[in-house]
Amino acid sequence: MLLVVSVISFVLLSSAGGDSLSALRENPQVSEETIARLGKVYGLDRPLIVRYGAWLSDMLKGDMGESISLRSPVSTVVFSRLINTLKLGVTGLAIAVVFSMTLALLAAGLRNKLLDRMIGLIVLVTASTPRIVLALFALALTVGVAGSAVAIRNDSWAALFLAAIVLAFPLIALFLGQADSELKAAMKLPFIHYARAKGLSETAIIFRHAVRATLNPLLTIFGLSLGALIGGSVIVESILGWPGIGALMVWAVRGRDVPLVMGLVVVSSAAVWLANTLAEMLQLVNDKRMRDTEIDL
Amino acid sequence: MKERPAKRNSWAWRLAAAVLVSFAVVVLFAGFLAPYDHTTQSRQAISAPPSSIRFRDSEGDVVRPYIYARRLVDPLTFRYEEIETERYSIGMLVEGEPYDLLGFIHTRTHLIGILDRDAAAPRLHLLGTDSLGRDRFSRLLIAIRFSLLVCPLGAAVACIIGILFGLFSGYAGRFADTVMMGAADSMLALPTLILILAARAAFPLELPPMRAAFLLVVIFALTGWAPMARLTRGIVRSLKESEFVLAARSIGLTEIRIMFRHILPNAAPALLTQALIMLPYFLLAEVALSYLGVGVQEPEPSLGNMLAAAGDVTQLTRQPLLLLSPAIVIFVFVLAVRLLADERPAKRQSV
Repeated sequence: MLLVVSVISFVLLSSAGGDSLSALRENPQVSEETIARLGKVYGLDRPLIVRYGAWLSDMLKGDMGESISLRSPVSTVVFSRLINTLKLGVTGLAIAVVFSMTLALLAAGLRNKLLDRMIGLIVLVTASTPRIVLALFALALTVGVAGSAVAIRNDSWAALFLAAIVLAFPLIALFLGQADSELKAAMKLPFIHYARAKGLSETAIIFRHAVRATLNPLLTIFGLSLGALIGGSVIVESILGWPGIGALMVWAVRGRDVPLVMGLVVVSSAAVWLANTLAEMLQLVNDKRMRDTEIDL
Repeated sequence: MKERPAKRNSWAWRLAAAVLVSFAVVVLFAGFLAPYDHTTQSRQAISAPPSSIRFRDSEGDVVRPYIYARRLVDPLTFRYEEIETERYSIGMLVEGEPYDLLGFIHTRTHLIGILDRDAAAPRLHLLGTDSLGRDRFSRLLIAIRFSLLVCPLGAAVACIIGILFGLFSGYAGRFADTVMMGAADSMLALPTLILILAARAAFPLELPPMRAAFLLVVIFALTGWAPMARLTRGIVRSLKESEFVLAARSIGLTEIRIMFRHILPNAAPALLTQALIMLPYFLLAEVALSYLGVGVQEPEPSLGNMLAAAGDVTQLTRQPLLLLSPAIVIFVFVLAVRLLADERPAKRQSV
């Protein structure tokens, strides 16, 4: 799949209109010869398939080429930025999971009508607040409170948490809605009645039995939401000035930096795929039954 | 997902429906509702606050609504002062700049505007002006028209691809089904916005608005079909075993006919809900692309490129709510769609 994605992006990027040298071409001070020479240096004069072959074989050796606009190896740039995005993503995911699970568990334990309605409202509001809207409001708020945006445009914890909360917001809708309905459904199952009849406390029932039963669908959702998380980081990072791969992607697209775009597509897709696989393996750990049946990862 | 009983008459459903209908009205009659052309710049009113409309004159009597002409007093902070001797009345159905109603009726009539048509008359700015002196309210209406034309179109194409894909996958043999659903699952798991950006990078940055719109529709369709395919396939799989399909087959109908005339109509309610849920994602993709400067370009307004001004911190501190007005529009639209989709009586299968 990664291969297919890389082929499609490569062909698209290389075929249609303009490359990273088109800006130079419009500059009257740069001669035709210079452009031709630069084209040779970056291998832009060779046919498409040869270029893709060269890119792929380098890629398999771990060399993703050199970014044209940044003049440094793609792998160095991408991985240093990837760490920032991972920091942001993991914090955002943690916020969303902790918040939704706490509320869902409370709702399952208390069976309070008011709390249920509140959860419904939270799901609705978080689901309809796009990250771009929230990020801009967050920016306006920080500017209003701190007086300038400089305060958040650095690597401080405040910046991390602000960006992570924005990133987590739509996930809360997804997780909370799912966790709430799954837990409520699980609480009605026969084995819960059995546990209750055994005299277990309500807390023990919820934590030891109900949660176990609902964990697998939730893990699937976590896995699927990671793609959206990386996609969402593009917006959040650009608006709030967090130096991750999302912001880098925008830079690369604007600069028509083909090696950099390719590297980012492959690395982010691979990261999401890896996380998905991890989520599926966690499901196997949680559910003994699934280990016996054949499953393709 | 929880199943809920039909609640078509709940106030939330009605409100959401009303909001969406008014969005549709804006899409159709944006030029008429907007007081001015969205590209006309006014040097006298740059980054101006909204016009303050007055309903009472200096004696306190209720008169036809009017505004005062304004003068820029501080070009650094864009502070304006009203000139209380120059009074201009506001009227309905006034003559103004020409535009095409519904795209083909050439007319000059606008819903509201300043009655006085001399060159010195101030302009009516319900939401103030942007940094080039363009009327923000007019731009917002035209932006809504653009965004809400492109996104449903992209969503519709993506849905058609997804439904066809899902139908055939659900109907196909085990091998083809595995391959097709593998493709859909991989698509679902990939970071969509990154892919959209990469696809966008393949085309020149500066595109005329129509071509940009066309490109957006194509990109949305190519990246957004997977959830629909997954859902359709699931429904087809379960409906395939039902008795009415068996009945249809026993009277000798072709498989294609069964697929489109019997299975598809039965799957329609759930698919429609899914289509409605997908709509905001396409809107947000457009907003994101235009915000980042790789979607629709100025001077054509879209909700995304209007928001880009809000990313400028110095402007944001001056008039936060005005700059964020497109964001508020987006929020209201997404909320209305959510409410409508939530309250629709339909079974949703969780993936």
